[in-house]
Amino acid sequence: MSNLKSYYLVGRNTWDETVSYRLNFMVWRLRVVLQLLTTYFLWFTILPSGKYFAGYNQSMMLTYILGTAILSAFILSTRTSSVAEDITQGTLSNYLIRPLNYFWYYFSRDLGDKAMNIVFSIGEISVIVLFFHPPFYIQTNIIYLVVFFISLIFAIVLNFFFNMILSFIGFWSNEVWAPRFIFYILLTFFAGGLFPLDILPRPLFIFFQLLPFPYLLYTPMKLYLGTLNINQSFLSLLIGGLWTIGTWIIAKHIWRKGLKLYGAEGK
Amino acid sequence: MAVITVNHLSKTYKTYRKQPGFMGSLKSLVAREYERVHAVDDISFQVEEGELVGFIGPNGAGKTTSLKCLSGLLYPSSGEVKVLGYTPFDRKSPFLKQISLVMGQKNQLWWDLPGMETLLLNKEIYEVSESRFKEVVHDLSKILEAEDFLHIPVRKLSLGQRMKMELMAALIHSPKVLFLDEPTIGLDVVMQKNLREFIKEYNRKYSATILLTSHYMGDVEELCKRIIMINHGKILFDGLLSDLVKKHAPYKIISVVLKNAPNPKKLEELGEIKSYHYPELVFRVQAETSGHSAAKILQTLEVEDVNIEDPQIEDIIRDIFSTQQA
Repeated sequence: MSNLKSYYLVGRNTWDETVSYRLNFMVWRLRVVLQLLTTYFLWFTILPSGKYFAGYNQSMMLTYILGTAILSAFILSTRTSSVAEDITQGTLSNYLIRPLNYFWYYFSRDLGDKAMNIVFSIGEISVIVLFFHPPFYIQTNIIYLVVFFISLIFAIVLNFFFNMILSFIGFWSNEVWAPRFIFYILLTFFAGGLFPLDILPRPLFIFFQLLPFPYLLYTPMKLYLGTLNINQSFLSLLIGGLWTIGTWIIAKHIWRKGLKLYGAEGK
Repeated sequence: MAVITVNHLSKTYKTYRKQPGFMGSLKSLVAREYERVHAVDDISFQVEEGELVGFIGPNGAGKTTSLKCLSGLLYPSSGEVKVLGYTPFDRKSPFLKQISLVMGQKNQLWWDLPGMETLLLNKEIYEVSESRFKEVVHDLSKILEAEDFLHIPVRKLSLGQRMKMELMAALIHSPKVLFLDEPTIGLDVVMQKNLREFIKEYNRKYSATILLTSHYMGDVEELCKRIIMINHGKILFDGLLSDLVKKHAPYKIISVVLKNAPNPKKLEELGEIKSYHYPELVFRVQAETSGHSAAKILQTLEVEDVNIEDPQIEDIIRDIFSTQQA
């Protein structure tokens, strides 16, 4: 990345672009909030206060649900959905012809998009807190905050490379939508967006932890809540970090292979 | 020194055929028939610094594929390409900073933002200094008459205005080598002319090397001394436009307006008749003896008006492509 300012501008332009579709974006945020409230009230009903479910009481469960909802809107938001289109429609040429790094370009776009999402989440959370008085756990232990922050960065980067890899299918096939769709369905389940993964039977839970998905939502959330001990925390960071580096290497490799097949079609 | 060297370049695409209709779709789902298309087939040429070369050929001849290989978008199936000493496909920064590719139908502009935002982004990407940026924007927007819409969102612009912004974005770093793919597409006649002037000027002022493709023979005729004719991925002709005329069209066109209808038998002795709609009569005669032929025509026929001219480039090229196809 030779020129930081150009990537800053890419991020800022993405922000400006979102602003020019304000209504669109607000409706999208509304969807996020509705989804959040649905899961929230589901668990609110299943788990009455005073009862325990797989080691979770109502307050812990609701904190987890609320927390992952906020995190997912931030971690999983991405602009890479247009990468596949760039490839199949030939607009990728416009990036290849310029001395810029396509990965950094889209990562900057993602960051611009996330910045916009953060601004909106802050407003929404305030409203939710005001109306529903949900349990809201504020982590004060600096070590947990640091590991949480690192796991958050891993999650953002991991999600980015995942999406890039899926989009690169476009080099081989025009049908990129189906795999992406399946990925998203699996994602909300495997990443722990619907329930905390540790309520699953132990062998299944251990198997899940070897997959990359939990490191997108479940692990950052658990690290924030401070429910893992120090050893477990560092082990989680390690596996998450390895997956992040792994997907990065795979994405780069597929990118190089794909470029040789790229046809710069559509004119 | 040659700025562009192409040695035995070939580019093959894999594509598939689909029969029309529902059964065709089903068949394509189960067993797809793939086939190889030789978009560019073993071409070689060189371009010197400051040359302005026209790539001409019918649709699907391989012009755009060649430009894409030269600008590093496509990975050549075989052969070697060097531009400014670099292998384009490596897409090294110093190489990309010296070239530009303008595609008439592709957009690098941010659709929802004013064109200026793309220019500013490109300024950073290409690391153009503040003063240089101002100078280039000033010059380009003046020549292209684009001052008025630099700050209007791109989606609100007309096709012609967008094309101008596109050109500005592509030239902000003053590239040494410029690939223009159908640069005048979608522009009105006045703008086409302005743009040709601009390309000529850019070539002269920066001694930039320019390769352009165009469907409009007017572009090529006015801009390029040298042309490369390509069809079915192969080079048919590479040389001066004037040589092409000499080689493929060693004749002149004599058009006369007759005073009264002559004896048809007499006419045939005068030369090859290209068309005859009384009172207009058009002959095609050998270029070397055209003076002699004209004199004979004037002696034999009662003529109101006479005109001797070179054949239209467009006609010559059409002739070449149609004989080649046959």
